[in-house]
Amino acid sequence: MAENDKHPRRRATAESMAATQRDISVSEFFAKNRHLLGFDNPRKALLTAVKEAVDNSLDACEEAGIIPELWVHMEAAGTNRFKVGIQDNGPGIVRKQIPLIFGKLLYGSKFHRLRMSRGQQGIGISAAGMYGMLTTGKPVKIISITSLKKPAHYFEIQIDTKRNQPEIVNGRGEGEEIPSGDKGQRYIAEHGIEWVSHYPTPDEHSPHHKEVRSGTRVTIELEGRYVRGRGSVDDYLEQTAIANPHVTIHYIDPDNHETTYARSTGQLPPEPREIKPHPYGIELGRLVTMLKDTTGGTMAQFLTDSFSRVSPGVAKQICDAAKISTRANPKRIGRQEADALYQAIQNTKISAPATDCISPIGEPLILKGLHQQVPGEFFCAATRPPAVYRGNPFLIEVGLAYGGSSPTQKVSLETLTDLLSESDARSVRQFLLTTFDGIGAAGAERIMAEARMGARQSPSKLKKEEIALLHGAMKNVNLSEGQSMQVLRYANRVPLQFQPAACAITQSVIANNWRSYGLSQSRGQLPSGPVTIMVHMASVWVPFTSESKEAIASYPEVTKELRLGLQAVGRKLAMYLNQRKRVQQEGERREIFLRYLGEVATAVSSIKGYGEGKKKDLYGQLLDVAKRKTAVADTQLDDRGRKKAEPVAEDFGENVLIVDVEQHGQENKETV
Amino acid sequence: MARKTKKPSESAAPAVQLTAKDKKTLGSIQSLADEVVQSADRGRAPHVEIPSRSLSNVRFNQSKRIIEMGSGTNRRELFNLNQAKSYMQTLLVGSGAKQLIDQGKTTSIRGLFYLLKHTIPGTGEETFATQDECDPIIEDVEVALDSMREELHLYAKNAGAMVGPITLIDSGDEIDCSRMGSGGYSIPSIVEPEIVQYKKNTARFVLHVEKDTVWRRFNEDKFWRKHNCILTHGGGQPPRGVRRMLHRLHYELKLPVYCLLDNDPWGYYIYSVIKQGSINLAYESRRMAIPAARFLGLRSNDYVRCQLTPSVQIKLNEQDIKRAKQIAQYPWFASKKPWQREIEMMLRNGFKLEVEALISKDVSYVTEQYAPARLAEENFLD
Repeated sequence: MAENDKHPRRRATAESMAATQRDISVSEFFAKNRHLLGFDNPRKALLTAVKEAVDNSLDACEEAGIIPELWVHMEAAGTNRFKVGIQDNGPGIVRKQIPLIFGKLLYGSKFHRLRMSRGQQGIGISAAGMYGMLTTGKPVKIISITSLKKPAHYFEIQIDTKRNQPEIVNGRGEGEEIPSGDKGQRYIAEHGIEWVSHYPTPDEHSPHHKEVRSGTRVTIELEGRYVRGRGSVDDYLEQTAIANPHVTIHYIDPDNHETTYARSTGQLPPEPREIKPHPYGIELGRLVTMLKDTTGGTMAQFLTDSFSRVSPGVAKQICDAAKISTRANPKRIGRQEADALYQAIQNTKISAPATDCISPIGEPLILKGLHQQVPGEFFCAATRPPAVYRGNPFLIEVGLAYGGSSPTQKVSLETLTDLLSESDARSVRQFLLTTFDGIGAAGAERIMAEARMGARQSPSKLKKEEIALLHGAMKNVNLSEGQSMQVLRYANRVPLQFQPAACAITQSVIANNWRSYGLSQSRGQLPSGPVTIMVHMASVWVPFTSESKEAIASYPEVTKELRLGLQAVGRKLAMYLNQRKRVQQEGERREIFLRYLGEVATAVSSIKGYGEGKKKDLYGQLLDVAKRKTAVADTQLDDRGRKKAEPVAEDFGENVLIVDVEQHGQENKETV
Repeated sequence: MARKTKKPSESAAPAVQLTAKDKKTLGSIQSLADEVVQSADRGRAPHVEIPSRSLSNVRFNQSKRIIEMGSGTNRRELFNLNQAKSYMQTLLVGSGAKQLIDQGKTTSIRGLFYLLKHTIPGTGEETFATQDECDPIIEDVEVALDSMREELHLYAKNAGAMVGPITLIDSGDEIDCSRMGSGGYSIPSIVEPEIVQYKKNTARFVLHVEKDTVWRRFNEDKFWRKHNCILTHGGGQPPRGVRRMLHRLHYELKLPVYCLLDNDPWGYYIYSVIKQGSINLAYESRRMAIPAARFLGLRSNDYVRCQLTPSVQIKLNEQDIKRAKQIAQYPWFASKKPWQREIEMMLRNGFKLEVEALISKDVSYVTEQYAPARLAEENFLD
């Protein structure tokens, strides 16, 4: 009986277990592992959805050669629910593709090619749609126009996660076709479909006429949390504008405030070319697959066709090293031979890939972009020449902005009140640190001391007078000393918002010795000062640390280029700071003399028995001499007697922008 | 009833009588100011040449046997960032001195500091922050104008006392130094001929001792009466007033000066300052140095000569040894064999002796035995 059982009772057998094993579709997998795609929490989810849509829009516009104009519309749709709509003026999507692009994971145009683009894997937007469906049950709404003469198409789509297929919900499973012209306009209005059909007043850089001729709009309703400050949609859009000065973004936030980030140039960046993979970057498994799939008849053909930088001569070298005939059929290559081939590739000398496949932002546009969005007196930029990591071409660009008032000083009283009520920080100090970029702990302390705020006060419970005090303190306290450097990270022009500590960019900035460039820096920390730095990595394949594309991995080639780029801007900053110090000192010099002149004149007058008149004369004479002696300072004083930040004999070289904010509003002086 | 109303004096202070010296000093100050006016007129930067008081600019004049200042000068300009403040302070001191002279008053150097200290209008800065800023400027002005401090109507603290068969007039008062009791006549810091005049003297020499305690011994024993001398002390390193007094006694009254100091490097140094002058006040040497002064004691061989016991020895420390060697190198000692032997002996002894050590023999040993014997023998170091 039971006591005589030698083995404990089995719960299941291999067969019964086998019966329950089955395929898991990709979408099922990602549905259960949302964090891999950046949908871990409601706040991040909202941002990721916007980000994916914006990425796609920008890529599409640039590929089609259209100067991008984006509309981002966020509406609250219940507690913790938002309706997010992103529209672009791109080429539009043909009818057949719309359901697949938005309703099928891992479907896209970018996976199979090596080309610098924002989206890299084709997961993004469909995952956002899936997330929306999972959290609110609402489908994704897409409307797309390819030309004003052709009909537009409107779809409402869900993903069938079991089969990774799109499900069209409207138009009896077929979607709706909207006729062109006025009839179409009426249809849109009647059915409550959202679409912006006209451009706002064009600016100097916009080539667009009144009507939006083509484009796509995607609307997703999802669970999310809207915050302001760091890691917010607002921040993301502002940073996008910096790195993409050819883009105009119209943003309406959940409070119905509209912000426009206007473009500062009417030129599209040069189109990046697609390249074939470089042999060094290929892994064995991939090689095997390529061998099976190739259309080339011989090994030599396979090698020269599939890879970049492989000439017939190089192909022969590889084959010889692997002891494979150049005429062998690629489809007949066995495992062992493939292995030998792989080794041979690694050991053969192959020249570095062509780098015209990457299109950098370029120094002039970096300066423009930064200047537009970030306050400052001094801007400089450096674009490194292209380099290669694991067979993938990449390049690093750095832009730096120095000076200007800190973000805390720009905040209005209403915004502050809003921010305080929305914040879930447990203390005012935490609120300050998390909401505003670039405040160090010391800066927060100073603001709180000035506002006479206790350490334990909760931000959401502050009274009106206390908020006013805090606002006053924030305006008055000059945080330049306590402020730490703000680092904006970009990969292929897309701002990276999360995981700064894990990112190679942040790590490189911290590792750089900013003390030698005139900033103060504690070990292992970001330097302090009113500095904003933007670092952009452009590559055909940006190495991320994880699937969520939040932080860049530190390959040694990448860190090296980062270091060199940072040093380049660091040097220019050092020149500027030195020059500023000198001008300051010159100004002080003159002040010192002026101080003592009066005393000297008085002493001499008392010795010589001068009256007031003669004393004044003497003083005037001495003043003249003083002026001549400090003539250098004179050339830097403008007609109003105030100091100018103008380089006298300093040659900053290229790619530097110095702004004189004090006089005449925003007068720019560009030294190129 | 007759009312006695005393009207307050309506007139200002009585008109100040300027002495010849005062006029000369005023002239120098004026020329300082004139330089500024002329430079300003011509549109040039005003400056003042201040003779350098550093060691490199000090020389021992072999023939005159005094330390003299060389001709090196430092230029102090108004329009030089590092010098602007001290230039301004220099002129202030000049104007302050003029004010004193005009009013016929004197004040201490701290007094001048307070007179000149104020906030510069339009700034938060003071003309002088501390007295330490002011004192060197005063010295600068002294050298630049070739006027002694007293001529600028500035005085230092009194230190030092004097008794003896001499009568002098000090600021109009007649002082009989033989009737100054146990305290003696306190030598003022300004002993210029305008202030102090010698009326009658029967002394034959001057005995200068280092410390006031030793001086008291001599005074109590009325040594000066027995030996007909003037007895002075400087309270350690003698201040300018005492040195000036000795100088005048020596040159005007032709009295030889003998020094009784401790047998240690400090004593040697005091002697050298009395004799040759000091580096710091090198510009004053010709008014204060007494090359013909003589060193009476205490000497290194007095330990044996006076048969002193080991208990009065004070061991020489590192600093003493270093100092002794330094002094031996001074040009005015280096060439004198007796001095070299003297210093060597002290180093060999390994100890130093204070004059009070002689008290171990007898309280009045120094006044009854030691000093008379040395004077009679005429056994001095030059």
